[in-house]
Amino acid sequence: MVRNIVVLGGNSHPALVDSVCNMLGLPACNRILTKFSSGESRCEIQDSVRGKDVYIIQTGFGGNGSKLNDHFMDLCIMISACKTGSARRVTAVLPLFPYSRQPDLPYKKSGAPLFKAGSESGRKDYTFDSVPATPAPGVPRTAGLINGTDITNRLAKTVLTNGVNGANGVGSMSPVKQTNGESYFGGNGVASPVQSTTIGSYTTHDYQNVSHIGAFQAKPGYKQWVAQAGTLVANLLTCAGADHVITMDLHDPQVQGFFDVPVDNLYGRPLLKRYIQTHIPNYKDAVIISPDAGGAKRATAIADSMGVDFALIHKERRPTKITDRQNASMMLVGNVADRVCILIDDLVDTGNTITRAAKLLKKEGATTIYALLTHGVFSGDAINRIKASAIDKIVVTNSVPQDEHKALLGSKLDVLDISPIFAEAIRRVHHGESISVLFNQD
Amino acid sequence: MSAEMANEIKLISGRSHPELSDKIAKRLGIEVARTVSLNYSNQETSFTVGESVRDEDVFIVQSTTTGDVNEGLMELLIMISACRTASARRITAVIPNFPYARQDKKDKSRAPISARLVANMLQTAGANHIITVDLHASQIQGFFSVPVDNLYAEPSFLRYIRENFKTEDCVIVSPDAGGAKRATSIADHLNTAFALIHKERPRPNVVGRMVLVGNVEDKIAILVDDMADTCGTLVKAAAVLKENGAKSVLALVTHGILSGNAIETLNSSVLSALVVTNTVPLGDKVERCPKLRVIDISPTIAEAIRRTHNGESVSYLFTHAPV
Repeated sequence: MVRNIVVLGGNSHPALVDSVCNMLGLPACNRILTKFSSGESRCEIQDSVRGKDVYIIQTGFGGNGSKLNDHFMDLCIMISACKTGSARRVTAVLPLFPYSRQPDLPYKKSGAPLFKAGSESGRKDYTFDSVPATPAPGVPRTAGLINGTDITNRLAKTVLTNGVNGANGVGSMSPVKQTNGESYFGGNGVASPVQSTTIGSYTTHDYQNVSHIGAFQAKPGYKQWVAQAGTLVANLLTCAGADHVITMDLHDPQVQGFFDVPVDNLYGRPLLKRYIQTHIPNYKDAVIISPDAGGAKRATAIADSMGVDFALIHKERRPTKITDRQNASMMLVGNVADRVCILIDDLVDTGNTITRAAKLLKKEGATTIYALLTHGVFSGDAINRIKASAIDKIVVTNSVPQDEHKALLGSKLDVLDISPIFAEAIRRVHHGESISVLFNQD
Repeated sequence: MSAEMANEIKLISGRSHPELSDKIAKRLGIEVARTVSLNYSNQETSFTVGESVRDEDVFIVQSTTTGDVNEGLMELLIMISACRTASARRITAVIPNFPYARQDKKDKSRAPISARLVANMLQTAGANHIITVDLHASQIQGFFSVPVDNLYAEPSFLRYIRENFKTEDCVIVSPDAGGAKRATSIADHLNTAFALIHKERPRPNVVGRMVLVGNVEDKIAILVDDMADTCGTLVKAAAVLKENGAKSVLALVTHGILSGNAIETLNSSVLSALVVTNTVPLGDKVERCPKLRVIDISPTIAEAIRRTHNGESVSYLFTHAPV
């Protein structure tokens, strides 16, 4: 029994909350956390938190009828409620940190960006930076370009040459908006399966509805970009009143630096390592693979500590040059012929990366393919893709609820329990003990 | 500096209420900026910016979608933060129906003051200015340290009443004590009688006993309130007014949230009409409920945006509704 700790659970992962509470030997804090019929979150904390050390467990996962943004707002509201309820310290425990990973731009199968930057034909004639013209006294804002060409003429041309997207030329943003309006917020079907068909040459799994993006066009000459919400999420948590954040295997360790409060980034690595040692026969002869260069550090850390060979898959998202063979976007560095392969990564979302990596490994002669990942989000058509893939066994932790995934994937999926790590981290943080032991335990 | 060089209004629309954004844009004679919001398959919201907002005066219009408030709020926060990182000169969040406005006080132990949280979040994201309509409690303005322009639907309501009824036949009724100020203000402007209903509320979204204070006999009773959610209050109040001899009862409400079974409740009620503004997207509710009338609030919001941009006073809009 630990005193003065209050463990408060969100709605995203009740099983993990129960498990952590069991290990700490205390009941979860009573609370009401539902929605008003208007859609606003309703939160009432029924046990006293005055002077207590409060830990709020909410993972960044939406699915099974619940929504990620709802969970995140719930978390902020709970933090704020505890703060106004005179809690001594509020720690947000986010096993999977939301918005920690966002691709720069959606991309096609070929690797080219999904959005078109203005018009292809127009760009030959004027340089990228010259639109709109740099304002100067006497130079109207949009009347012309530096080189004196009339921009309205150019724009008119742009409309015509963008034949692919037909009616959605310059200035017809509103129809796009209108079609967006209802369909996104309409039903509760956010968790509904994403269409697995590919529309044109787009990969649909990255977005819920690609037809809207297909119609979207940036202003000619402006390179559209996608907002990165990582910093915002960090600031919102601090602004709600979080004094401390505990998370696991951040996709970008830099996210830690977005916070002004202490962030403990736990590692799933020891768990994965133990799984390899206990469940994979002859693991000493296996090869550890990182499916992309960004995860190389993670994978080499495991490979080095076990003295196992390492290989890397290089993923090229952008086409090198239009003339090149564009499908050769994945490249294996290392040798896997007649070996057991262990793919290591931090997160499986749509499963695109690891299934393609597995395909490549099989082609290169791998015998058995294991995929070990900390966070198993399995969004979109990930489950079907993994079922059909060359992966023999996929292992994830329960940083997000896995019951549904387990039911669908059956024996192909193994789930590792992270609640001991989080329970121990909470205990240690509460008692002011070092938690670095958790980083390098074997 | 020549006029062409002044920074311009960039109107960015969230997904919650594109119709309103389009109306505002049309009124201002500009186009809605090219941006698109989407949800990734893992349900994270992504916001793509398709034109420059550098050094522009950015207005982001985002209402609340009934049943999906958090999704819209998160999208708004991401949009604000994106514009901030893109060097917008000023970011004004235009939030016709302020979310969580009813959770504005610690009414019991450990209750969250979510309205304050939302205020803090908007400022953290980078909002420099807020424009909203009929805040549930005007004290919410105090949660902000940036300017908040709280517009009123009242001038639009006054016009509606004058155009549709003989004012001497009307009596303005507040369905609860909290809204008395709002109702008396309208009654004073129209020079009509005023009545009040006292109610007890045992639990949220549940309505208790009601007592009428004032006389509504043989009059057209006009209920005035700031929001109609499940409509339980309005419908019960209408029944009370009917029992007390009102000729007919209608309701004028700023925010038609109309959640849950509101439409069915309305259809089977003694209310002859519910008049709302379009601060909240109504979807197919107008078709499903023949009693629902909609007043367009976009001229007021558009004018507020124009005046804010040009640095003119907004107080004219507190008493006048642009046509």
